Amino acid sequence: MFGLIGHSTSFEDAKRKASMLGFDHIADGDLDVWCTAPPQLVENVEVKSATGISIEGSYIDSCFVPEMLSRFKTARRKVLNAMELAQKKGINITALGGFTSIIFENFNLLQHKQIRNTSLEWERFTTGNTHTAWVICRQLEINAPRVGIDLKKATVAVIGATGDIGSAVCRWLINKTGISELLMVARQQEPLALLQKELDGGTIITLDEALPQADIVVWVASMPKTIEIDTDKLKKPCLMIDGGYPKNLDEKFQGENIHVLKGGIVEFFNDIGWNMMELAEMQNPQREMFACFAEAMILEFEKCHTNFSWGRNNISLEKMEFIGAASLKHGFSAIGLDKHPKVLTV
Amino acid sequence: MHNELKITDMQTLESNKNTTKESTDENSLNLPDFTTDSYKDAYSRINAIVIEGEQEAHDNYISIATLIPNELEELTKLAKMELKHKRGFTACGRNLGVEADMVFAKKFFSKLHGNFQIALEKGNLTTCLLIQAILIEAFAISAYHVYIRVADPFAKKITQGVVKDEYLHLNYGQEWLKENLSTCKEELMEANKVNLPLIKKMLDEVAEDASVLAMDREELMEEFMIAYQDTLLEIGLDNREIARMAMAAIV
Repeated sequence: MFGLIGHSTSFEDAKRKASMLGFDHIADGDLDVWCTAPPQLVENVEVKSATGISIEGSYIDSCFVPEMLSRFKTARRKVLNAMELAQKKGINITALGGFTSIIFENFNLLQHKQIRNTSLEWERFTTGNTHTAWVICRQLEINAPRVGIDLKKATVAVIGATGDIGSAVCRWLINKTGISELLMVARQQEPLALLQKELDGGTIITLDEALPQADIVVWVASMPKTIEIDTDKLKKPCLMIDGGYPKNLDEKFQGENIHVLKGGIVEFFNDIGWNMMELAEMQNPQREMFACFAEAMILEFEKCHTNFSWGRNNISLEKMEFIGAASLKHGFSAIGLDKHPKVLTV
Repeated sequence: MHNELKITDMQTLESNKNTTKESTDENSLNLPDFTTDSYKDAYSRINAIVIEGEQEAHDNYISIATLIPNELEELTKLAKMELKHKRGFTACGRNLGVEADMVFAKKFFSKLHGNFQIALEKGNLTTCLLIQAILIEAFAISAYHVYIRVADPFAKKITQGVVKDEYLHLNYGQEWLKENLSTCKEELMEANKVNLPLIKKMLDEVAEDASVLAMDREELMEEFMIAYQDTLLEIGLDNREIARMAMAAIV
């Protein structure tokens, strides 16, 4: 069994979906009611790999909504309770989706192993970040040439370079792609310097300096809403890969020859009979999903029951290659620009 | 093939090791001061509720046995455990030098107690079991779980022992209702509608005192909903039925 722990993108959205699913008691409730709502196992599904292997899985809604981010204790409980439910259901490998893994990491939930009578077994969970990082890199490699960017001559900026996904992307770009230059942007300077040392490459730079120089920008930090970007100063063509959560880049970057790609999203080769990705607002919900979710499926297909992606800065090239090859083998592909042609608003 | 790479070669659990070493029991840093007057004042009521709750639980299991005489032995065993818990919690109060406010506690339980007595007189076993073996036990289990994290060391140990027993009690009611679900569902729904709001009111009533003991109202409610939902799922109700039942808690 694989598991996916997800949540709604907003409180309003969550209420609408709860009502759709028949969970009237919370659909009608205010945020306080949601703060006390138990996690829900919403759906069970069977998925068949391109190799013919069948696996079963469950989708658990943690009943977390982003409006709870300011309530530290609530957010922490939502994540831990959803994980406990996954473990109690006997799920072998569960991906922490959306804000769930961010909360786990940032609020240091590793120290909360004991949840009521359950001692959480970390090897049953994965952040899915290895697959996400691999998918973002693949999206970059496939789509840059399509918009007229020659990778060998390209300058790539990674925004959020010191994060788990960001550092993995930098590692891959330097070692595997032959790009011309790597620009690394992050809030904290110390880990950035460490990363530079580890990679023996890459230039540390500010966001303002990086953007006008970059042919490709990989965003793996959530962007502050207040940020204003002058699109005139961007290179043309420019490929923007929105690998953060939530995905809101296309609101910021509109213009001719600016190509915004939803990063870290994969498509399965076949329709999956589920409703859960409709809830996650995928464009083709029967096939598309976050790469982190797909990682749990891949690990289950591979019978690799371990916390494959865990902690920070543990994503090696070797692990990315493994998950990437398995991803292709079982029928996943990274979504590209041609999937969702950008409609320019005039 | 490259893809056949052995997972054992890769770091997986490695990342945990360092962090576990650093990990401290965060709660121990946030424990309240058990010696203040305000703590003791709040404790006098919370402690009384627990003591009274255990006594009433004892009495209720003995009463339930009159409706199912062939279960007398098992129910007497459960009832006896409740008295043991009562003694344990009485010791917790004594340990902190607190006198339990039993008048308050009796009043606190009076409505639920009344509903139990009415059901008992009518011979409504399902309602009796829902009130005592499900609602009260789930309420107790959830409150004890929250309390364990912030209790004084003496009370913590006692409460940990009690929680284990309470699961047996919850399980007893759960199993009976599961076996008889086809005939008792309607009564179960009705009993929930009448009594779940009482649990919510009781929780609201102690929220302020509980917060002095560093127990968060929101967390108490969530723990209760988790325990209650788990039990109802076990009994064999589906998500939508449970959602409808839980609705009674928010109106």
